[in-house]
Amino acid sequence: MKKIISVGFPRMRKEPGEKRVFPPDFIQMLTRFADVYLSEGYGSRLGYSFDDYRQGNPCVFRVEQSEAYQKNYVIVLRSPNKDEFELLNRGTCLVSMLHYPTRPQRVETLNRLGIRSISLDSIVDDQNLRLVENMRAVAWNGLEVTFDIFEQMWPGLQRESDKPFHVLILGSGMIGKHAVEAATKLGNIERNTRQIESNGLGSIALTIGRNLSQNRLAMEALLQQVDVLVDATQRRNPSLPVIPNAWLGCLPDHAVVADLAVDPYLLDHEPPVVRGIEGIPQGNLDKYVYMPTDLEWDSTVPATIPSEHRRITTSCYSWPGIHPEACMDHYARQMTPLMEVLLTKGYDNLSLEGGYFERALFRARLPESE
Amino acid sequence: MNSNLSIGLPRMHLEPGEKRDFLPEFVKRLYHYGFVIFLEHGYGTGMGYQDDDYLAVAPTAHFTTFEETYQKDIVLVLRYPGDDVVAAIQPNTCLVSMLHFPTRPRRVALLNEIGIEAISLDSVKDDVGRRLVENLRAVAWNGVEVAFNVLKEHYPPPGLEDPHRLPIKVTVLGAGAVGLLAIQAAIRYGNEETWHHMASIGATGVQVTAVDHDLTNHPAITQQILKYTDILVDATQRLDPTRPVIFNDWIGLMRQHAVLLDLSVDPYECDTELLTVKGIEGIPQGNLDQYVFMPDDPAYEAIPACVPTKERRLAVSCYSWPGIYPRDCMDLYGKQIIPIIHEIAKAQGVNHIDPHGSFFQRAIGRAMLSHWSNKSPKGNQR
Repeated sequence: MKKIISVGFPRMRKEPGEKRVFPPDFIQMLTRFADVYLSEGYGSRLGYSFDDYRQGNPCVFRVEQSEAYQKNYVIVLRSPNKDEFELLNRGTCLVSMLHYPTRPQRVETLNRLGIRSISLDSIVDDQNLRLVENMRAVAWNGLEVTFDIFEQMWPGLQRESDKPFHVLILGSGMIGKHAVEAATKLGNIERNTRQIESNGLGSIALTIGRNLSQNRLAMEALLQQVDVLVDATQRRNPSLPVIPNAWLGCLPDHAVVADLAVDPYLLDHEPPVVRGIEGIPQGNLDKYVYMPTDLEWDSTVPATIPSEHRRITTSCYSWPGIHPEACMDHYARQMTPLMEVLLTKGYDNLSLEGGYFERALFRARLPESE
Repeated sequence: MNSNLSIGLPRMHLEPGEKRDFLPEFVKRLYHYGFVIFLEHGYGTGMGYQDDDYLAVAPTAHFTTFEETYQKDIVLVLRYPGDDVVAAIQPNTCLVSMLHFPTRPRRVALLNEIGIEAISLDSVKDDVGRRLVENLRAVAWNGVEVAFNVLKEHYPPPGLEDPHRLPIKVTVLGAGAVGLLAIQAAIRYGNEETWHHMASIGATGVQVTAVDHDLTNHPAITQQILKYTDILVDATQRLDPTRPVIFNDWIGLMRQHAVLLDLSVDPYECDTELLTVKGIEGIPQGNLDQYVFMPDDPAYEAIPACVPTKERRLAVSCYSWPGIYPRDCMDLYGKQIIPIIHEIAKAQGVNHIDPHGSFFQRAIGRAMLSHWSNKSPKGNQR
């Protein structure tokens, strides 16, 4: 017998390197509360077949992509594209990373279409801590890719210099904190253990605040000693870069710029948004390493942005997606208790007077358009 | 809902500076969950609360003796009350406290011997291993704030507020959870207001260097860093606690005004054999009564003779850093603990907690002595 509640899982229509899907255990868990409809081919990029998801469970169905959007609840990690919102029924609850504060147009669209939503990045507990986040993976995956480049330059990270690797991290928020830990461990625990075993010099993580990063002379002196420059800033004024392009000329030629902030270039916004480190490209899961001579550099950086000074740059809009299975296993574990509450209580019955997870979900509901 | 469970809230009879008790707001929630509440006489007075503040929100709460608070179904006390107190607890009681099972094997053995159940608040973790009851932020921020206050008093002329001084160099040993928060705090002088003030007068900021054990085992590089360090922070979690990270003679390389900040607060234990030394060798262990130590402080005499203390700088150490601001601390702990206590009330007692049940039951299950002892190869099997 069919259950009253239905949950759809459409595929994400993003770059080919975006392989992330929710794991079979998560789908099975949801069938305790609802029928689950997977879009045709869901999970195939990670090697999952429909049988891996169904496991003989009569509450799991395979449907076309458009039908997966027609359910009571629709769960998709990254926000659907604008045209995909039109596929959702009025009254459907979309569960996704919707980033309300920085996407007012998206909020307006959802309101106009009568769609309800829970933004995963807005689910916070009573102390304002996000319950669904993978900032650790942002930092570790970004630094892992960065030190992979050094391993190609210097096998085993054995270089002639008698100095440890110096990593300068801009920003000390949640991602910055994880970046410090990742930097001191060379972006990968296994690599770090090998370094210790071979008596390698390891790395030093340096971090500074705005008081210092605004001081050109101090910054130029610092940059000369740096092997990796990490942008983990959350700027109050995103129309100004933290590191003007000219300063990048102070970095050693071998230095790598690691972009963990992944702010876009939005020059048509008012005020315009520029990247924290001026003149670097923005990558995605298809391409996240840019050499200074890369022909695509100019196609990702607007012509009006200074980009004369270039170093190897690592940048990815979705760093956690570099290791898709680990990422989705993590998200699934964080979301399990939340989905239990959402599907049993229902979107319209959520209240700040409810239990711990209900309160957290309540805070993530769609705000009204401004 | 009426849980009919009794809960005792004794005071912490530790150093006089330990003023923390759970706030009336927390007791109010216990009342609503149907607990029969027993508070020790004088509960909350260290933070300025009176009996009426608690009775106003929990009219049926009882004020009673220290001993009686320990004779209830659940005893909730933030810090471990000591072996003697615990030895007198009756079976069928559940002690809820910061018990630190992994690093206190003798304590675990004692609890097992007495035969009580216990929930270690520091082991209550969610499905991805995140602690649900912790105030590591206060450990880092409070410690760093005190360290900067001390540095400000002793920084050479023209002083910390001179716009032309060099950046303050802070070196953080360890990049775990506390270390990362210490970095965040250090960049902001341990205090947001101070940070904004410093920015407003154009003072050069703070540069933080984080190093982990793959670097600190290279003495030449570490010593070079120490020479230019204004504040050295120990936030390490060492695999081998018998070996310091910074040997005492290295401290002699540091500037005279340098401040040594101890956030790890590992003890010195070398009565019969060397078991534990502090990460920064030769600095005193502080508590809420005294957490700043001048180089000539008598506290150095209390350090066991097996530990060299010849090289000294300004030292800052406190066993309970969050307790510096007791009300803020207990407000946070109260919010974190209340869902756990609520779950116990709903289950009608700890014995009915299902380690495979709901989110909070799973989290509690991971922190229960019975579960931990059965899982740990080093714990006593029950």
